[in-house]
Amino acid sequence: MSELAIDITNAAKTYKGKIRALRGVDMRVGRGEVFGLLGPNGAGKSTLVKILMTVISPSSCEGTVLGNPVTDKATLSRVGYLPEHHRFPGYLKGWQVLDFYGAMAGVTRKVRKKRVDELLELVGMSDWRKKRIKQYSKGMRQRIGIAQALMNDPELVLLDEPTDGVDPMGRRDIREICQRLRDEGRTVFINSHLLSELEMVCDRVAIMVQGKIARQGTIEELTEGQQHYEIELVGDTGPVSNAILEILPSVGVKQLPRYGSHCGGGRGALLSGEWLEVNLSTLRIGTDDPEKIRPILSALVGSGHTIRTVRAHRPSLEDLFMATMEDSETGETIKPGAIGQGSRHDRRSAGAAEGGVA
Amino acid sequence: MILTQSMAMLVDAYRELNARKLFWVTMGLNLIVVVVYASLGISEKGPTFWIWTFDNQFFNSKFISPELFYKIQFVSWGTPVWLSWVATILALVSTAGIVPDLVAGGSIETMISKPISRVRLFLTKYTFGLMFAAMQVLVFSTGCFLVMWIRGGVIEPGLFMAVPIVVLFFSFLFSVCALLGLLTRSTVASLLLTMILWFLIFAVNATDALVLATKVQNELRVEALTLRLENQNTKADERIVQIEESGEGIVDGDGNEIEDLDDRRQAANPMIIRTKNNLEDAQGSFETWEMWSDRVILLKTILPKTGETIGLLDRYLVTKDELAKLMAENSGVDVDDEDFESINGPPGADPRVQARLQDEMRGRGVGWILGTSLLFEAVMLGMCCLIFSRRDF
Repeated sequence: MSELAIDITNAAKTYKGKIRALRGVDMRVGRGEVFGLLGPNGAGKSTLVKILMTVISPSSCEGTVLGNPVTDKATLSRVGYLPEHHRFPGYLKGWQVLDFYGAMAGVTRKVRKKRVDELLELVGMSDWRKKRIKQYSKGMRQRIGIAQALMNDPELVLLDEPTDGVDPMGRRDIREICQRLRDEGRTVFINSHLLSELEMVCDRVAIMVQGKIARQGTIEELTEGQQHYEIELVGDTGPVSNAILEILPSVGVKQLPRYGSHCGGGRGALLSGEWLEVNLSTLRIGTDDPEKIRPILSALVGSGHTIRTVRAHRPSLEDLFMATMEDSETGETIKPGAIGQGSRHDRRSAGAAEGGVA
Repeated sequence: MILTQSMAMLVDAYRELNARKLFWVTMGLNLIVVVVYASLGISEKGPTFWIWTFDNQFFNSKFISPELFYKIQFVSWGTPVWLSWVATILALVSTAGIVPDLVAGGSIETMISKPISRVRLFLTKYTFGLMFAAMQVLVFSTGCFLVMWIRGGVIEPGLFMAVPIVVLFFSFLFSVCALLGLLTRSTVASLLLTMILWFLIFAVNATDALVLATKVQNELRVEALTLRLENQNTKADERIVQIEESGEGIVDGDGNEIEDLDDRRQAANPMIIRTKNNLEDAQGSFETWEMWSDRVILLKTILPKTGETIGLLDRYLVTKDELAKLMAENSGVDVDDEDFESINGPPGADPRVQARLQDEMRGRGVGWILGTSLLFEAVMLGMCCLIFSRRDF
């Protein structure tokens, strides 16, 4: 059995009208992990999921899902899927939705009967089992949607925007369901632009921008080298900033930072190589090692300053996302949406990909 | 797995139609029509409705047996009016949404991400649409069968032929509706466009009937004039013999003996010239209408034969003899009367033209009617399957 639930290379999709939704995606998702795919609107996330679920035929895509070719229909009996903006027939009752889609996934009647009750309980919809879908709120439909995706006891679950329209309690429930599925050894693939949700639940994430995977890995891997400490002092900003700059030579710096260096340029560096930034009454040091900030703290206290806070800062997924969304050449934020074939950005990205950047 | 999925889709199709209410409305209307059918009757005095009898010395059970009366009612309005028009429109309205709902955004992704091939998914949905049309015809036919048995005193299982015939007829339209539903994704658009196509087919059928009736009328006229010419020639021959026996010759204006037989006949009976001219006109007219009739038939070959398909039930239930008897009683003209020269009025109005038309219509092969129509349906479904299996949703 393949150790990978999803193993695809060169997934590409060009729609009519030359819209390039996917431009050669390579992705590997291990079994038993919660994998998050994030990206701005129109990045191609849903297109990728739809290719995996045979809803869309790719222009090219090699690889496997649960060890079988991507287009293999039989494999889908082992996969659960919650589409984005799904719409179940309004005439069906909650239990009927699960029963119907369970049957379509090939689940026997006896098993369906048992699973319906279990899953309605799991998603907190037992009291609504006999109510018609048209009476449900959006969040309730989402819960039922997740339940139907689990009817066939899948090895791989693909959830496209699962928390869309769900209240905070519901989101917590969905997170717990995802964690539970992972604990049971199932693979969960979540497609979302709600970064905080993904951060809380995902083992690994991939960031997709304009049809390509820009970054991929664990959150720790992706934030490596970007963790830092923040030291905030008490006092008026001007004098305090000057005071910080004055005491820094005493702890040994290779280069003094300029005031306001967080705005780009003018970063300083410690002798051990870590970067330094000064802004208002805050000093930032680019290290996750507390030993390296101890001399600075001592110097600041020794010079009579009062320290308000010291905290280790790890970049959030949002920080990562925003950094990914920045065009490395122009510094501008990349506009959401797919790109047309032969467009300026397309040509530039292709060049970047050849150079191994993407 | 196939059985589990098919059963689930069948139950879902039932729930969907059940939710639409229109299915049950149509079912209820079917039963009302059966009740009306049962209310009609024929006695020795004349036709009856409920407790009322309408005295009629020509239309009563002495001329038309109750058995034939109920058969005629069934094939004259039960099938062509109710099942072929009203119930079919209602069935189309009930089922037109099946394909657009299937391919609606948000719904289709969940369906086609299941382990079922797209072609099987589509064809199963299509078949269930037909099944519900079949259920309606079955209810109607069963009701009419009981009425014919109880009121007409005859057990006519042939009535149930209405089920496959009407379902076939419905399937030709439903295949178009399904294709349009797939292309437009709109129930209303697919329904309207199907109705328009149905109307066009109806117009082609009406043109066919009109052209055929005119052709038949001219054909009968040619036959009548040919007969008259033969009679005139016979009489002319007799006249020539009389003249020759009297010692006189058949001479032209210059007093020369006429050698050619036709010229001799015309000289003996000048009316032959007029008949010949009339025959030439009639033949020319017949050939023109025959050409147009062939063209219409060619056009019809590529279209579904809705009218003829329903007409198969007439062939099955009412024999030619029964039909001829009924026509004669209705018009007072003997359809075997070969005095076709008396035919006049609009095309098809004369019962002898109608009888010949019926012969022509009934002479059209079942293979041609159903074969070409099923080919049309197969093309429609083939296009549906191709589009459905290749489309990105």
